[in-house]
Amino acid sequence: MAEKMRESCLICQIIRDSIPSYKLYEDDLALAVLDVNGSNPGHCFVMPKNHYPIIEQVPDAELSHLFSVANKISSSLFENLKVQGTNIFVANGIPAGQTVAHFTINVMPRKENDGINLQWKPKQLTEEEMSTVELKLREQLKNIGVKKVEKTKKPAAVMRKAEQMHISDDEGDYFAKQLRKIP
Amino acid sequence: MPEQQTQQQLSPEQIKALQEKLKNMSPEELKEFQKKQCIFCQIIAGKVQSRKVYEDDSVIAVLDVNPANPGHMLIMPKEHYSIMPQMPDEETGHIFAVSKALSNAALRSLDAQGSNIIVANGIAAGQRAQHFMVHLIPRKENDNLSFQVPQKTIGDSELKKIRKVLSDSMGTKAEEPVIVPLPKISKEKKVVNAEFEEKKQQEKPKQLKKSKEGITEKKHKTKTQESGINLDDIAKVLGAR
Repeated sequence: MAEKMRESCLICQIIRDSIPSYKLYEDDLALAVLDVNGSNPGHCFVMPKNHYPIIEQVPDAELSHLFSVANKISSSLFENLKVQGTNIFVANGIPAGQTVAHFTINVMPRKENDGINLQWKPKQLTEEEMSTVELKLREQLKNIGVKKVEKTKKPAAVMRKAEQMHISDDEGDYFAKQLRKIP
Repeated sequence: MPEQQTQQQLSPEQIKALQEKLKNMSPEELKEFQKKQCIFCQIIAGKVQSRKVYEDDSVIAVLDVNPANPGHMLIMPKEHYSIMPQMPDEETGHIFAVSKALSNAALRSLDAQGSNIIVANGIAAGQRAQHFMVHLIPRKENDNLSFQVPQKTIGDSELKKIRKVLSDSMGTKAEEPVIVPLPKISKEKKVVNAEFEEKKQQEKPKQLKKSKEGITEKKHKTKTQESGINLDDIAKVLGAR
């Protein structure tokens, strides 16, 4: 099944070069290409070479690497294309606007009045509702802990803790199945 | 980012005096000053109340007080950075690993069906706070949120130019031939910003030192003489708001 998805996945085809693309950067784990129908010239995608439909399935080490590549591109857009701003945008899951079942990071150059709208109208929640949300999240996050990690260990240790939160295979499948519904 | 509103209004004289003061500061002093002014640094220090959901040595996550959706979180580095390019790789990686864990938690505990991760660097990108942060917004069907990213058709020659500039700067040197544009691009009206093109012509692809690992050595927080734009300037503009 996984094999089949890989075959039909648009992005996997780009990675395999079966679909032509404007590649910017490539290494063992990551590929960055220019979007032909980008929001602005210089709009890029950064994606893992391994097929992961959603962010929850990407291992931390790969994820960190992907975002540092995205950061490099963002820096380069500032320095070399002299853009006024950049957005990093990830749509994770269908309700979030994800259209391809392969995790992708958008790096978007920005200028004033370019028609991109990533603003939102704040929703008014009562104090009580906010507290409920806070409690639920805290409860869920207990495992990765709000407690401090010893100084010597720093982020790596925390990341390992976060790793324990990994979605179980069943759940991963569930989210992935949702994505398969995408035309 | 409503926290902004709590900052007091300054009279024109005060602003002038402040600008004068800022001009004479060393970069270290400036950073210290920005930190003092930054409401998010105060949240991190615990001086301003917040609904904290996650904290470790370098990262903190709080609920946004004016959320786009219930569970909207702001994930911030404890260190004060104005924009993402100023951050070291290790921290960038970590902050997104934390974002992933938080997204996971939102999917599980808030019945979210997806999430958006949004970072804005610079005012043109919609950044309003002077502290770098990652927005994590849990999503559900029909939640009345829509982010618009219009599609434009970008010409082949422009794409090639951009690819060259970017891949050179990343130290990857994309080969010329590889790629043919997808068929649909050619005939439609070409959306090109004149100013953008002009600027591009003046630019010479920069000679950058290449490391064996490709991009790992690329500078990303400091400006070089020839690169024209200064990240610190962008950061300063934000600080001044």
